[in-house]
Amino acid sequence: MDVLESFSYTTKKSAFYSRINVIFKSRIKMALSYKSSYFMTIFLNLVTLVMYFFFSKLNPDLTIFGISSTYVEFCFLGLSLQMIIGTTLSTVSASIYNEIISGTWSSLLVNFSFFEYSIGSTLAGVTLSSISVFIALFLAFLFMGSFYVISLQEVLIIIMLFVLILLSHMVVSMVFASFTIFYQKNSGLIPLLYQLSKTFTGVVFPIALLKGFPMFLSRVLPLTYGLEALQSIALNDTSNWRLIFTNSAILIGITLILGVLSYFLVVKSIKNSKLKNKVDWY
Amino acid sequence: MVLISTKRTKGVIEQFNHTEVSLSFLSGFKATFARNIRIIWQYKFTLLIGFVNTFTVASLFYYVANLVPNLLISQDNYVVSSIPFIFAGSMLVDISTRILMKSMNSFTSEMRQGTFETLATQPFGLKKYFISEITFEVLYSLIFSIIYYIPVLFIFPIFTGISVNVYSALSFLLIIVFVLLFFFSLSLLAANITILVKRGREISMVLIGVIHLLSGSLFPLSLFPEWLRIIAYFSPMTLAVQAFRLCLFGGGTIGDFHVWLSLIVLIVSSLIILLLFNFTYKKIYNRIRMKGTIHEF
Repeated sequence: MDVLESFSYTTKKSAFYSRINVIFKSRIKMALSYKSSYFMTIFLNLVTLVMYFFFSKLNPDLTIFGISSTYVEFCFLGLSLQMIIGTTLSTVSASIYNEIISGTWSSLLVNFSFFEYSIGSTLAGVTLSSISVFIALFLAFLFMGSFYVISLQEVLIIIMLFVLILLSHMVVSMVFASFTIFYQKNSGLIPLLYQLSKTFTGVVFPIALLKGFPMFLSRVLPLTYGLEALQSIALNDTSNWRLIFTNSAILIGITLILGVLSYFLVVKSIKNSKLKNKVDWY
Repeated sequence: MVLISTKRTKGVIEQFNHTEVSLSFLSGFKATFARNIRIIWQYKFTLLIGFVNTFTVASLFYYVANLVPNLLISQDNYVVSSIPFIFAGSMLVDISTRILMKSMNSFTSEMRQGTFETLATQPFGLKKYFISEITFEVLYSLIFSIIYYIPVLFIFPIFTGISVNVYSALSFLLIIVFVLLFFFSLSLLAANITILVKRGREISMVLIGVIHLLSGSLFPLSLFPEWLRIIAYFSPMTLAVQAFRLCLFGGGTIGDFHVWLSLIVLIVSSLIILLLFNFTYKKIYNRIRMKGTIHEF
């Protein structure tokens, strides 16, 4: 009922941000109605952090090529980002699929634009997953020690990079969502893409270890660029500004190219659904 | 459920209705298998995705192990390089936990798509369906894990130079068989709880995370503090991974303490879980029927 009410609320408002806000609130409410799932996610995040903490004890002097911090600091940064990116990657595509299955898709088409829906649902997913990651990180640091020391200027750049990373992954999810709208089924490729990002982007080991095709693969995935820039700021004594600017420009490029592509594909897919009268069909 | 055509759907329903005539376990079992194979066949592409996924997961273990390439790990009277040590442990946990993940995904999908209610009311019986479905997932996961891991082991020749004698190989196979039995029973119980609390995917992910951590797949258990090591041994997979590595790297056989203890723990825990499933099954089923939540997700 809450969700329905918040959806009909949009008809009274026309501002772009308030429509996104409606989606955001409804997604948060929906997610929080599964509290047990949320607590399980926090616990799982904590278990993952603890596992790599003990792995780091295999060699306490373990150093990462080109990074002056400890392994724990290196992998905790990567794991936290990976957990949030997992949500960003799956949100739009999975939400659209759920709307199609549960029959609310046609109502959405009437009330919202695809971009409003994408931004609202991604923001909700990222907010909730960020909170769960921060809780897990706080608990992990509480028991294991070690803190990041970063300046205010670095915090601002980290936030900017974080937004760029989120946007580049949101547009990837939007491209997959267009497939979901067109075929009325899930491509099943998002979990694979998530697994690839988890492995080949330098989350728990540096990409310097990769050679040949895996190295090429890592350079295709947007998280590699985001993580490389973040590590340069948060983990190194001196930041490599050239690398940060280059990687930010690549993330902006990915966002723009895939954003335009997803828009084009979604418009085509929705047109196809309407033309074939498949909007309410599953 | 994705409706491909009415004819196919009818075929699936007929398969289940067939059990009304015979009511034998075997017929329903065959119908479940036939239905699942048809579903998999409709999503042939996922078979390829499965291979890429296995390769990616194996790459993760491989590269993580390569962070400590020159480290020798000493455990249970054998010494081995950290790379095969980590890879072997992680591979066993990955293959076995895949059974749990697939079973839970299958039940979650049925409930989400609304087909679970139909399955629950079939004359074949929900309990038999549970057993058939999870047996299928165990076999499917095992067969495809073997198919996927063969090329992966050619790409990452981790185990070259390891000599395993006949007795070690047999003990190694026995451990795998009982690990499968353990995950079969664990999946049954988890599926039973899933129909009550409806959060199958999350339950399996948490279980898999905890099993991974406690089994010491990425490191020897000696790195754990004493209290956590005691907790770790409550997970049957901890001993199983230890025995698996012993057979592979230390020539361990069924005569070795860790190997036979691991087999006994796996058998006893599987039996306890099966009894628990049998004991809770009717209560949970009656409860969801009384509350009318069988169709909810």
